Amino acid sequence: MKEALSKKVAFQLKPGNLLAHLVLLGVGLVLLYPLVFMILAGFFTKTEFTSSIIGLIPIAKAPTLYNFTVLFHGTADSSLQRYFVNSGYRTIYNTFWALLTSLLAGYVFARLRFKWKDQLFLILLGTQMIPGTIALIPTYLEFARWPFAGGNDIFTGGKGILDTWWVYFIGGPSLNIMGAFLVKQSIEKIPYELDEAAKVDGAGTIRIIFQILLPLQLPIMAFIAITTALATWNDFATPFFYTSSDKLQTLPAAITRLSSAAASPGAIPNWPLIITLGLGMTIPALLIFFFFQKYIVQGLANTGIKG
Amino acid sequence: MNDRKAVETAPLHLPVKSVSTKSSLKKFAVRHKDALIATAILSPMILWWLVLSGFPTLFGFFLGFFEWVGIADSPKFIWFDNYIRFFHDPLYYEALWRSVWMGGLVTSITLIAGFGAALLMNMPLFGKGIYRSIWYIPAVTSTVATTQIFNLLLDTNNGVINNFLKSIGKEPIVWQYSVFWGVFWIVVYSVWKGVGGAALIWLAGLQSVDVSLYEAAEIDGAGRWGKLWNVTLPGLKPIATYIVITSLIGAIQIYEQVLFMTNGGPYGKTEVLVFRIYRDAFWDFNMGMAGASSLIMAVVVFIGTVFYYRWSTNSDRSTTIKIKGGPKA
Repeated sequence: MKEALSKKVAFQLKPGNLLAHLVLLGVGLVLLYPLVFMILAGFFTKTEFTSSIIGLIPIAKAPTLYNFTVLFHGTADSSLQRYFVNSGYRTIYNTFWALLTSLLAGYVFARLRFKWKDQLFLILLGTQMIPGTIALIPTYLEFARWPFAGGNDIFTGGKGILDTWWVYFIGGPSLNIMGAFLVKQSIEKIPYELDEAAKVDGAGTIRIIFQILLPLQLPIMAFIAITTALATWNDFATPFFYTSSDKLQTLPAAITRLSSAAASPGAIPNWPLIITLGLGMTIPALLIFFFFQKYIVQGLANTGIKG
Repeated sequence: MNDRKAVETAPLHLPVKSVSTKSSLKKFAVRHKDALIATAILSPMILWWLVLSGFPTLFGFFLGFFEWVGIADSPKFIWFDNYIRFFHDPLYYEALWRSVWMGGLVTSITLIAGFGAALLMNMPLFGKGIYRSIWYIPAVTSTVATTQIFNLLLDTNNGVINNFLKSIGKEPIVWQYSVFWGVFWIVVYSVWKGVGGAALIWLAGLQSVDVSLYEAAEIDGAGRWGKLWNVTLPGLKPIATYIVITSLIGAIQIYEQVLFMTNGGPYGKTEVLVFRIYRDAFWDFNMGMAGASSLIMAVVVFIGTVFYYRWSTNSDRSTTIKIKGGPKA
C-alpha cells in the first residue's frame, strides 16, 4: 500500500527529496569507489602501475586487457582457471547442502513435537555466538588424524584427509543453523491445516516437506542459497588452512597467498594481478546479487523480527 | 505455537486411535512418530555438525586448560594458568578491550549511518531500488579482495590517498606507522562493508511499522519529527534488538580486516582478540592460550547479548517478543 502511494509522487522533486537524492547518490558513489578503482586498475600493466603516479581516477595510458584474459586462460605459474572452477564447485556443493539441511531441520523444529526440542534448538542457536576461530586448530588436528585416511593407521602416521578433496566434501558444508532458524520461522507462519489436509490425502512426511511446504519457502530458500553461495565463494579460510597443493586452491586462497607474498619486504607485489583476481571474485558475486537481490531484501526482512 | 493447538484439537487425528490396538512395537512407533521422524532427519545432520563444529569447539575450550606450544610437543595440564595469564598479560586483556570498543564503534557508526540511509530510502524517491543496490554492493564482495584494494589506496609511496594529499600540497602520511590511522581504516573498512546491510534491515523494519499509526499521529497533529519519535522509533524496537545484537556479535569478532590490512601493527597496537587467537593458533602454535582466549571471547559475547536483551525487553514490555526457541513474529 505504501508502495502504491509512493508511486504517485515519484516524479515530484521537492527540495527535501532532492537532498535525499544527493546524499544517497553521493555516499553511494563513495561506497562504490573502491570497486570502480579496482576495475580501472585492472587495465594497467604491472610496470605502468608501479612507475606512474596513480591518481584518484586511474586511467591507463596504454590500457591492456591482459589481466582480464589471464582470468580465463591462466598463466604458466598460476592456474587461475582451476581456482575459478574449484571455487565454483565448492559454492554449488555447499549451497546444495545448506538448502537441504536448513529445509529439513527447519521442518523438524517447526512442525514435529518431541522432548527437548526447544532446548536442542536453543543450544544450536547459542553455538552461533562462539567465535569460529577456536575450531580452526582442532579441526586441523581432526583432519590430520582422520582414521584410516591418507596413510593413517588409526589416528597417526599419515596426513589424514588434509590436502585432499575430502576437506571440501566433509569439511565444507554442515548443518546450516541460521538457515534452519529462518525456515522454521517461515514454516510456523503456514497454517498446520495444510499439512493435515495433505496427510489425509495420503502424503508422507517427505512429500509434505518437498511438495507442500517447499514451494511456499522459495523466497527464504533463495535467501539461504544466496548467502551461502556468497559466503562460500568468498571463503578463504578452509582452502587456506587445510590444503596446500595447487590443484585444490580457490580464488580467495590464491589472493591470500599472493598478498602474503606481497607482505614480505622488498618484493614488489603484482598489484594488477591481485586486483584482477579480486575482480574475478567480485564480478560473479555481483551477478548473483543483481539477479537475486529481490530475495535478499525479502530475506533480510524475514530475519528481522517484525513488531 | 498455534500449530500445537491445531494438532490437539484437530478431528483428523482419528487414525492414531484406530491402530492403537496393534502390537506394542507399532504402538511405540505411532506414539513416538514425531520423535522418530525427528531422530531420523536430525541425527545425521547433528552428527555431521558435531564432527565439524561441536567437537572441535569443545576441544578448543578444553585446550585452554593445557600448556601446549607447538604441535609436536605434548600438552601439559595446567588448570587455570592460561586464564590467569590472560588477565595479567596486556597483550591479551588489551586485545579484548580493543575488540569491545572497536566492535562498539563499528556497530554504532554502521547502525546510525544505516538508519539515516534507511530513512532516506523509505522516502518516495524515484529510483530508490538502485540506491538500495549500490549501498549493499560492498557487503557481497570478498574481504580478501577488497582489503587489498584498500591497502593499495593506502600505499605509502604511490597510494591514491597519499598522491591526493601531495597534489593539494599536504605531507603524505605513513598510515602503517600510526595506531590511530590503523584503527581508523579498519573501522572505515568495516563500516563500508556493513552499512548497506544495516540500511536494508532498518528499511524492512520501517516498512513493517503499521501505517494506520502514522495516520492516527497525523490526526493528533504530529509533525515529521513527532511521528519519527513517537511512532517509528517505538515500532522499530524489536528489529533494533535484533540488529544491535547480531551486529555487535559480528563486530566484536572482526579479524579478517585486521589480518589483511594492518596485520596487528604497529607493535601489535591494532590487535583485536580474535586476531590474537588466530595469531596464537597459526603463528605461535600456542593452542592453550588460543583456547582460553576463545572461551573468554565466547563468554563476553554471551554476557553482552544477555544483558542487552534483558535491558531492551525490560524497558518496554508491550513490544517484546518471546525468544523461546528463537524469536517469533
